[in-house]
Amino acid sequence: MIKEILKNIIRRKQAIRFPEEFQVPPDEELEIVDLEKKIHAIFKRSLMIRMIDAGSCNACESECAALSNPVYDIQRFGMGFVASPRHADLLLVTGPVSRQMELALKKTYLATPDPKLVIACGDCARDGGIYKGSYAVANGVANVIPVDACIPGCPPTPAAILKGLLDLLNKLNASKPPRH
Amino acid sequence: MEKILKKAISIKEHLNEQYIEVARDDFRETCRYLWKEKDAILRLMFATDERKINGSFKVHAVFSISGMDRFLIIVLSLQEDDLTFPSLTADIPAAHWYEREIRDMFGLHPQGHPDPRRLVFHDSFPSRSYPLRKDWTLTESDAKEWGDGMIEKEPYRFMEVEGEGIYEIPVGPVHAGIIEPGHFRFSAVGETIFFLEPRLFYTHKGTEKLFESMDFEEGVKLAERVSGTSSFSHSSAYCMAVERMMGIHLTEKAEAARTLLLELERLYNHIGDIGNLCAGTGLAVGYAMGAVTKEKLMQLNQRVTGSRYLRGVNLIGGVTQDIFSHSDDIRSTLDTVTREYKDLMELILGTVSHVERLENTGVLSREIARKLGATGVTARASGISDDIRHVHPHLFYDRLDFEANTLAGGDVFARMMVRAADSECSISIMRALLEGRYQGDLAVKTRAAQPYSASLGYTEGPRGSIFYWVMADHDGGVFRVKLRSPSFCNWPVVPFAVHGNIVPDFPLCNKSFNLSYSGCDM
Repeated sequence: MIKEILKNIIRRKQAIRFPEEFQVPPDEELEIVDLEKKIHAIFKRSLMIRMIDAGSCNACESECAALSNPVYDIQRFGMGFVASPRHADLLLVTGPVSRQMELALKKTYLATPDPKLVIACGDCARDGGIYKGSYAVANGVANVIPVDACIPGCPPTPAAILKGLLDLLNKLNASKPPRH
Repeated sequence: MEKILKKAISIKEHLNEQYIEVARDDFRETCRYLWKEKDAILRLMFATDERKINGSFKVHAVFSISGMDRFLIIVLSLQEDDLTFPSLTADIPAAHWYEREIRDMFGLHPQGHPDPRRLVFHDSFPSRSYPLRKDWTLTESDAKEWGDGMIEKEPYRFMEVEGEGIYEIPVGPVHAGIIEPGHFRFSAVGETIFFLEPRLFYTHKGTEKLFESMDFEEGVKLAERVSGTSSFSHSSAYCMAVERMMGIHLTEKAEAARTLLLELERLYNHIGDIGNLCAGTGLAVGYAMGAVTKEKLMQLNQRVTGSRYLRGVNLIGGVTQDIFSHSDDIRSTLDTVTREYKDLMELILGTVSHVERLENTGVLSREIARKLGATGVTARASGISDDIRHVHPHLFYDRLDFEANTLAGGDVFARMMVRAADSECSISIMRALLEGRYQGDLAVKTRAAQPYSASLGYTEGPRGSIFYWVMADHDGGVFRVKLRSPSFCNWPVVPFAVHGNIVPDFPLCNKSFNLSYSGCDM
């Protein structure tokens, strides 16, 4: 029994080693390993993410999809993308929020159970980015629903998205779960 | 051709573009003649608001005849006292979305169009409000009501199918996977899809209007962000339009660099798409292999250009970086990618359970593809041999040896195989380009555009042909930018391809087209 547990621990440690294609500066690599521990401390088990495209150009989605590929393999950190907002702890929103997506974004936010976190992912989600000032956008996610953190970049790389998640978790106090 | 030119009110030539202005009564017949008798392809249709210049709106229909590197642009002037134009849709079904778009954006009414509903704007957008008119404004309260979506100002009626056992499945706009937003309404009989109506334009961002508030140089950045995974194709087509309008010619080096990066973009998209199809059938290994190879190409993009999406490379008059200084890196990555790609295809074609799901699924007939004006992989998998790189050679494409890969099947499998053949072509084109030595600077100086000059720019992106049409105002600023992404042409064919398939195969069909929502919605 103990042997089995030990074996599992060793296997876990190996799993966290990054493939050579995972290009993160060495000091950040340590921090990203931390991510798993933090998620465990705050969320007890895992962090489930619901991704919402609120009018992005699809580059941000493409990078989020890349997080699930074998190079970044987001599940090794105890995170995963879920199909329904009802299952989500965190909403990852991309795009400047086009007017025609505003209602859908609000509804999705309301459908997510408390406590919940919202990250605005990418320059457009932060303040509208290049689309800022267009008649058909709301100039950023924060103008539509409450936002906890922003990840800059056009688009942010998969490693930058992981780092952004970590920064947000660093800000949270493990004893006080997030609430809106 | 004589027949058309005889009817023309005025004819204007610009490079390979011929602008033929016709009278209102001749407009429909002229376009019908080109489409039916000459087998021309409707490349795009758009309007301009030239009331300040000459007191009229203009409707343009751009045709190209296969085998001729020439664009015939039929122009119709509309005076303010009669803002209707004869609809082409009855003769040329491919015109149906363009005409609805013109109605939404300019308030010009296509007379005789079978579909009176709005296309771009949803229910709570104000009636009689046309954003691309020069004197248009949106009040703050209207904007707020539009976003809230609570007041239906012009209700949209979905087409209803009635009958025993038919039920509706509404899906979206927020989907289960990591994809863009759009609404699909299925009318199903048991498991079988009888009818599908997509409702798109959720990601409409007012891109064309936004172009008008920028100068031509800034516009490159916006063009790069029209459709994320086609960033380079879009910016290349945009730059080409502006360069042709200004009358500047690229150096050999810049042309070679653009060609190479266009092919690199095609390759990473196609390999990712082939892998994604495996996700649709549960072939997890194939999906993972495709994703890893795609990731390697994205990282190559990053090393060569500093951007995983090849952004920041194009500028009016050339490119910003000498990508040929990375030749060795590109070559060695291509070696790895070729090997991995072969393994992937071997796995896919050797997995009968996967191939069986793809064959005879989502069949798009040649007839529908032709009628609705499908483009790119979608058209070529249905037997229409249309590739802008061949029909309208630009950049280095006339000096390269490659095929417009065409298959007749029209099913998901055919679309995958066209992508595979295209990937091999892209690899060989890139290898050939890396062999050469190219003269000249990276970029040439830009010139001011002549007042009211205009031009087309085009290229074959990963999803199909991309068109830009730009026009300068009186002092060389931006007067109008029309963009047409391949997804705008291909979305209307999706309902025809999924008819008769089962609902669980819809994701597979959808993935095989891999259309951009953002590019289509503009």
